[in-house]
Amino acid sequence: MSLWVDLYRPRSLEDLHYHNELSNRLKSLASSGDFPHMLFYGPSGAGKKTRITCTLKQLFGSGVEKLKIDQRIFLSPSKRKLEINIVQSNFHIEITPSEAGNYDRVVIQELLKEIAQTQQVDLNAKQRFKVVVINEADSLSRDAQAALRRTMEKYMSNMRIILCANSTSRLIAPIKSRCLLMRVAAPDAEAMQAVMQHVSKRAGFDLPPDVATKIINDSGGNLRKAILCLEALKMQSPDLSGTLTIAKPDWETYCHKVADLIVSEQSPARVMEVRQKFYELLSHCIPPTVILKTVADRVVERVDEAIKADVMHWAAVYEVRMRMGSKKIYHLEAWVVKVMSLYKHFFYGMDLTGFD
Amino acid sequence: MAPKSSQKSSVAVQKAEKSKTTSQITTLKLQPSTANTKRINPLTAFVNLSQERPSSTPSSTKAKGKQKAKQVEKQPSPNLEENGQLWVDLYEPQSEGELAVHVRKVENVRNWFREALEGGPSGKLRKYRRILVLTGPAGTAKSSTIRILSKELNFETLEWRNSMGYLYQDSLSTSRAPDDTMFTKFQLFLERASKCQSVFTSSTTISGNGSSPLSPPPRSTPTSSSNHRIILLEELPNILHSNTRSQFHDVIRSLLETNDPSPVPIVIVLSDSGIRGEAGDERLASGSWGRDQDGAVDIRTLLPKDVLQGPYVHEIRFNPIAPTLLKKALQALLNRHFGSKSPITGQMLDVVVDSANGDIRSAIMALQFASIRLKKNPKGGGPQVLVESITRREQSLVLFHLLGKVFYNKRKGDPPPPSALAKDIKKDQELDRRLEDPPELPPHLSEHNRKASRVDVNTIYADSPIDSSLFSLYIHQNYTQFCTNVDECDGIADWLSWADSSGGEAWHQINPYRFHLMALGTLHSLPTPVPRLSQKVYKPDFFENLNKEKEAREGVRDVRSWIIEQGSDSGWDLSAWTPKAIATELGGILRAQDVPSSKTLSPTQRIPLSHRTFSSLKFIHPRTEIRTLGREQLSEGDDGELYSDGATVLEEQQDMELWQGGKDEDMFSKAEVEWWKESDDIVDS
Repeated sequence: MSLWVDLYRPRSLEDLHYHNELSNRLKSLASSGDFPHMLFYGPSGAGKKTRITCTLKQLFGSGVEKLKIDQRIFLSPSKRKLEINIVQSNFHIEITPSEAGNYDRVVIQELLKEIAQTQQVDLNAKQRFKVVVINEADSLSRDAQAALRRTMEKYMSNMRIILCANSTSRLIAPIKSRCLLMRVAAPDAEAMQAVMQHVSKRAGFDLPPDVATKIINDSGGNLRKAILCLEALKMQSPDLSGTLTIAKPDWETYCHKVADLIVSEQSPARVMEVRQKFYELLSHCIPPTVILKTVADRVVERVDEAIKADVMHWAAVYEVRMRMGSKKIYHLEAWVVKVMSLYKHFFYGMDLTGFD
Repeated sequence: MAPKSSQKSSVAVQKAEKSKTTSQITTLKLQPSTANTKRINPLTAFVNLSQERPSSTPSSTKAKGKQKAKQVEKQPSPNLEENGQLWVDLYEPQSEGELAVHVRKVENVRNWFREALEGGPSGKLRKYRRILVLTGPAGTAKSSTIRILSKELNFETLEWRNSMGYLYQDSLSTSRAPDDTMFTKFQLFLERASKCQSVFTSSTTISGNGSSPLSPPPRSTPTSSSNHRIILLEELPNILHSNTRSQFHDVIRSLLETNDPSPVPIVIVLSDSGIRGEAGDERLASGSWGRDQDGAVDIRTLLPKDVLQGPYVHEIRFNPIAPTLLKKALQALLNRHFGSKSPITGQMLDVVVDSANGDIRSAIMALQFASIRLKKNPKGGGPQVLVESITRREQSLVLFHLLGKVFYNKRKGDPPPPSALAKDIKKDQELDRRLEDPPELPPHLSEHNRKASRVDVNTIYADSPIDSSLFSLYIHQNYTQFCTNVDECDGIADWLSWADSSGGEAWHQINPYRFHLMALGTLHSLPTPVPRLSQKVYKPDFFENLNKEKEAREGVRDVRSWIIEQGSDSGWDLSAWTPKAIATELGGILRAQDVPSSKTLSPTQRIPLSHRTFSSLKFIHPRTEIRTLGREQLSEGDDGELYSDGATVLEEQQDMELWQGGKDEDMFSKAEVEWWKESDDIVDS
């Protein structure tokens, strides 16, 4: 039993519900015979991956749906074995670099070389090239991106790369300039409503529009989140009646409570408590950036107008440091302490000049 | 293996005779009794055994590798004593009373030997006393303790030594293929030493009585009772090489598996050796560091994990020799050597004791050199200068004191704590006199005005037992207790964050000044003086959480591969599911599925249960009365080394899929029940 998100995912460019112009463009690109490297970017849950899969189908026909999962073993420079699951069809291959962790460069290089050096042997294939889809391209390390840059030029004849990323800001410029950029924006409420109704029809039940609206409002343009939420709701109360409360994910409530902790007391001991909470969040695989963002949003809601800008400014500063550094907790905590200090100074009406 | 080794032993017997001369060179002989005509020494062909030395040749009184090496090296030097002996060898302790080790420590070791050789009070402990590992810094009388106990308890020691000379000899003198590696020899040695009892007992005889002060009195072991033997491993095969290490582990395991009713206990003497280096930082933080590249041997690399946790291995850790004991021992030595007119003054002795850091070997060496210098040039500067010139030894700072220095942030003119000794106060005052006041800062920077710090960052950096990464973790874990308000915390947290993010991505781009930045930043941000509220220093929780995170990551991966598999059954590509999306968005579904009343699914359809590692998160509001500052407190005896190893152990445990505290304990207790047979009736363990 797949999840609804997967079960009712559109399979071809024609089935897509929104961003029709983009769909048309993709269709004409796929049929032009001169397919470029592409970079899809946009917020999560906007349908980037769905569009990539549809484009692949447009390119190669239904053959791309014959998938196999291979477990491949790569050797890191220090002779550590990395086992990585790779999804591939005869025409394309997918990589999720975060599986390879620090050694993504090795994996990318090995895989790309291998694909680039094998010709398409299937005479019935519609295209002479294979496609490499790289998910989460923005989590590629610098090394891996640099490795990619060279390969993209060298093996253009029998390979195309489709990158999928949340934002282009973490990709190095040479890669961006080698790709055709495709922005997939988050769907608006109307489009989401249509999709939700479509899903519920396929799943065989009627979705009251007000429930859908509630879910949509809560999901913040993330269609995947909305559909997952719908499914969870349906599981909990099959008739979707009565007062439905859309439960926030555990980690989100948790982050909000952490924010409350920060605002309610500013002391070294409280710093320790907040640290414990951060550790707890981190050890549940919540990405540190998401933690920082969620907590900061909540803190901003709770503090006075005068220091809102500062709170966000420091959140941005420490987010950058977090990316450069290796121990996430330092930066999360440094931000917390900074906010506490700001808040306290504001509270006591003290002069903040020279406080950097 | 067995038939092969028996073949080899016959070869060995022949070779033993041919290599008589070589055994002289390396001072190792298997009880060369003059009365004994058949000289069958199967082991000397391969190894050096620490056996009785012929007492007539003083140069071979020591069988210990390191000291021996020193001896050979120093002998030509005309500066040495008339007979060319080092004091370390000359005045080797002969009885427990002379040993500068704490009585209780010796007692521990003695008890172990009693139990290993006779089985303890109940007589049943023998099978569990298989391996003893003596660890501790160099020069803490580990080997001497064994030697003295071997005399006292009347057992003989068979010692393994890596000697490259034999390789060459073998290839020349025998037809056997010279490709017999060191390790094969080691393996043969262990096998024979632990099995071929009869060979040893027959060839072991009483040797002459040569109890001069120059040589230790030989163990007079009557043939009837000489069946007490131990195997002493001071030199080990190159276990840093991963192949050799796994071979070594296999050998140890197979030794432990043999059900010999009277096993030969193995004693491994392991001196601590430290690792330093910034290259480890990145790997440490990312949690994906292999132990392979680190050049340190410790008990955890030495013995496989299962053996280490099993009932057969005991570790006794020797601490650096306490200054009082050290001073007493040195004084006794001086008295014996010079009588009452020692050229070494009490003051000099103090300096030597201070600088030795509990290393008695280095202290004795220093004394000997000092006395030589004094003899040649009686008025060569003050005692301080003289002794310092010969005892330039890197003083390592115990982690506990390192953190104390940083966190207490002492500055010039701070009032001494009420508990301070007069000596310390005087030392501080002297230090203050030498410290220069920093120039006054302009008004707009006046908030950064501080008095001169008594902490010299360069010195603590040089003496630090831990690298900058671990140092920052310790600071991070503990700084809040030493701050009085949030602003001070802010300073330190900002420095931690800044230092962590400085430098590039690759290991070689790491900012080399991290340690300094962190230490100086912390010192600058802390209040002066730091209020003393009996703060306790804790070990970082970082690693524990890192391990939890890794476990949760596994859970995410499981769920992801479940989703993908579900999809591939239907021919859909679902690899778009990123771990992030799973961790942050799937929570609701997972919880709904987890409800037991949900319709039963076949096992393949069910979401893997490991999702619980990341999907459920309960907020527990911190109770103000219980402020947890850390899980494990740092004590004075801890060094960073030990702790960073702890992290590795956790990591290894995680590899073996037992990672969390609670779970871990369960495993242990269960395992223990299995290992300790109930019939054993163990009095103490």
